[in-house]
Amino acid sequence: MKAVGARLPRYDGVAHVTGKSVFVDDVRIPGTLCVKALRSPLHHAGIVSLDTSKAEKMPGVHAVVTHKDVPLNVYGHLSALGIPADEPLLAEDDVRWLGQPIAAVAAEDEDTALAAVEAIKLDLEERPAVFDMRIAGDPDAPQIHHWGNWYPHFEAEMDVRQIRKGDIDAAFDAADVIVSGVYRPAAIEQAPLETQTGLAVPEADGRITVYSCTQALYFSMGVVAAHLQVPLNRLKFVGGTVGGGFGGKVDTAAEAICALLALKGGRPCKWRWTREEEFLCSSTRAAWHIEIADAVTKDGWILGRKTLTLHDAGAYARFSPYGVTKHSFHHTGAYSIPNLHFDGYVVFTNRSPTSAMRGYGVTSVSFATEVHMSRIAKELGIDPFEIRLKNANRIADTSPNGIAYTDPSTVPTIQAIAEAIGHELPAEYRAMTPDPREGDLLPEHLAAQVGEVDH
Amino acid sequence: MAKHTGRGISAIEYPTGMNQNGDPSQAWIKIKPDGRVDVFSGTSDIGNGSKTIQSQIVAETLGVPYDWITYDNSNTDSSPVCTGTFASRATFVAGKAVEKAALSAKEKLLEIAAKELEIAPEDLEVVDGEVIAKGAPQKKIGVPDVAAAATWVHGELITGTGAHLNPYAAIVDPETGRVDSPPHAAISYAACAAEVEVDDETGEVRVEHMWQCFDVGRAINPTLVEGQIQGGALMGLGLAVLESCYPYYPSVEHRGTEFGSYFVPGIEGLPKIDTIIIENPSALGPYGAKGISEMANNPQPPAIASAVFDAVGVWVTELPITPERVLRALEKKDEGPRRDGKWVIFDEDISVNTVAAEGSRFRFPVGA
Repeated sequence: MKAVGARLPRYDGVAHVTGKSVFVDDVRIPGTLCVKALRSPLHHAGIVSLDTSKAEKMPGVHAVVTHKDVPLNVYGHLSALGIPADEPLLAEDDVRWLGQPIAAVAAEDEDTALAAVEAIKLDLEERPAVFDMRIAGDPDAPQIHHWGNWYPHFEAEMDVRQIRKGDIDAAFDAADVIVSGVYRPAAIEQAPLETQTGLAVPEADGRITVYSCTQALYFSMGVVAAHLQVPLNRLKFVGGTVGGGFGGKVDTAAEAICALLALKGGRPCKWRWTREEEFLCSSTRAAWHIEIADAVTKDGWILGRKTLTLHDAGAYARFSPYGVTKHSFHHTGAYSIPNLHFDGYVVFTNRSPTSAMRGYGVTSVSFATEVHMSRIAKELGIDPFEIRLKNANRIADTSPNGIAYTDPSTVPTIQAIAEAIGHELPAEYRAMTPDPREGDLLPEHLAAQVGEVDH
Repeated sequence: MAKHTGRGISAIEYPTGMNQNGDPSQAWIKIKPDGRVDVFSGTSDIGNGSKTIQSQIVAETLGVPYDWITYDNSNTDSSPVCTGTFASRATFVAGKAVEKAALSAKEKLLEIAAKELEIAPEDLEVVDGEVIAKGAPQKKIGVPDVAAAATWVHGELITGTGAHLNPYAAIVDPETGRVDSPPHAAISYAACAAEVEVDDETGEVRVEHMWQCFDVGRAINPTLVEGQIQGGALMGLGLAVLESCYPYYPSVEHRGTEFGSYFVPGIEGLPKIDTIIIENPSALGPYGAKGISEMANNPQPPAIASAVFDAVGVWVTELPITPERVLRALEKKDEGPRRDGKWVIFDEDISVNTVAAEGSRFRFPVGA
């Protein structure tokens, strides 16, 4: 029997739906302590003082950790790629979002852990916060990040991700119509059934076993090893079966703090985030602000596109520079637009840091560019299928960063949808294929962008 | 006051693998003395089905039944590196790693079988758990017998290792964003149509029907890929009309803290969904597969927003398209875009040009 192409049952499907699959919280190790965190009660503040002495002396409390206990406190998700880090594991001098972890405790039970968190003395000096990206670039905007209010470390230390292609001014001069619009996809929560959960167990041989709900065992192990400054063989990550992630478990949330507490307290430590923590303190999908102006001809060719993107990173960078770069690479969507001018910024605000979620960087731009496409079609009085088919990327057309498309299916997928909903296309549109442009479909403005495809 | 029906469409593309690549996956395989196969891969299964898909790829490549495969992704002591389950990479990149590991194990398997059958390995193939001579199928030996012979007669262990890495694509010109090589493992494509019903009295948008067509390269498991597409459609519906961490964004007030105050799509909002799969194979993916898991929630929000316009004549470009936003847009329906020379300027009230102060870093000049 052929295995590839077969409708085989999901490997762990029955176990999942009968409740037999083992997730991190199902792992029971005798002597496990309960972890709770002290989180910032303010959106933006300086830490004047932090005193954990009372909590440490409470009966049933086995360990309390603050930034002083972390061998490498500031380590970024993109540090391994040589990108500077900005986010402390536990806050040191300041807090930049409501919910930011400052200290964590491990205690015999949940009530004791919560009481110990209450017993930590924290003195904050509140500072002005920024929530609206659009004013973060104002000359008098409150400064909320030591790098400035937007990320300054793209290649060559640029503070903006740029795409430039063709001759944008000529395209706008040549246009019959220029349509501009603003698109604002929302921040959303990944909302997995399994909240962020970690369990760190100090083993007899001196190693630490970390039970993790991570989407990326080796990545998370690397993050924990960096914070602890230990080699990889000191750690064993156990996981691989995850109760929903959708991008929200690429960031390493609970594991490093559990490992620190396990080392300090000498007992297994489990931190299961509450549903409230999951909603308020785990990374979310970012909100975006996207402005587009397209230079178009009366007969529906898109000659050029200008774009300004602001990406709401929240308080720290995490994967946001990656997300904006990916966004820029795909900002023409499924079409060939030869003249481009794109500026994208990673903007800091005092909200919980945003990070990966399904479609990272592109879900936002697909929304913006496709609604924009529908608007242009309406404005020009052109059928929305036809304008898409006409501008659809073809084999050998090039992407915003100059890479030739090898196997685009924009044309057949659009044709399939037209047929499915009974939208009759004119014969010339029904006959279109993804093959390289020629004839009427290779107008002068698209000639220069055509690249080469190896066959 | 009435309910209005409208339709909208979208067409999208999405890359497979991490943007700019450079994201390795590794795997290894060992065959037990009875021919059963242990696969060690570091790919977390987050519900995407990678345990199933990778097991299918190994079964197909080795030529043994699917239920002979045990898949272990449980820990970092046993399993080698997988960059992770994100960036739509588990089927393509990690799938390619297990395919290569299976090819390497198969080579070893045929080496042992060749000794047992006294036929050169290149003249053998594995079909349904048996090693048979090409062109002479009566000459054969079961994979369990080969594995037993390896263990007890030849003193060998049948293993295979595989790794896949698409090389990192560097940005060679930060001014233009040009890269030195393809920054993706593959690109997938999709189109979508949505039909909505909008109540112009309450502002409620109900998505009635979605049609979706995805180019998946190759459906390794059609049931699972349909599940991704249909599940993604629901997530896209949530993005379009329901979900926001900040209901009054950019305000941070009124955040939902539980499922009772944060609305994800429920079964009562399930529209009719038609799924069309196109298989335009990737030249490089395992068996031609491309990754589509993430993009499955991308085409619906724009199709739904366009359908809302088709129904009631207003563009709602801030998500989600809540009843409040629909009603506020309907109040201003007659205003339309500003026209200035050949410019048609929508949404000026929410632009940085309106909200940011003079001298802001963020500007987007519009108008003649």
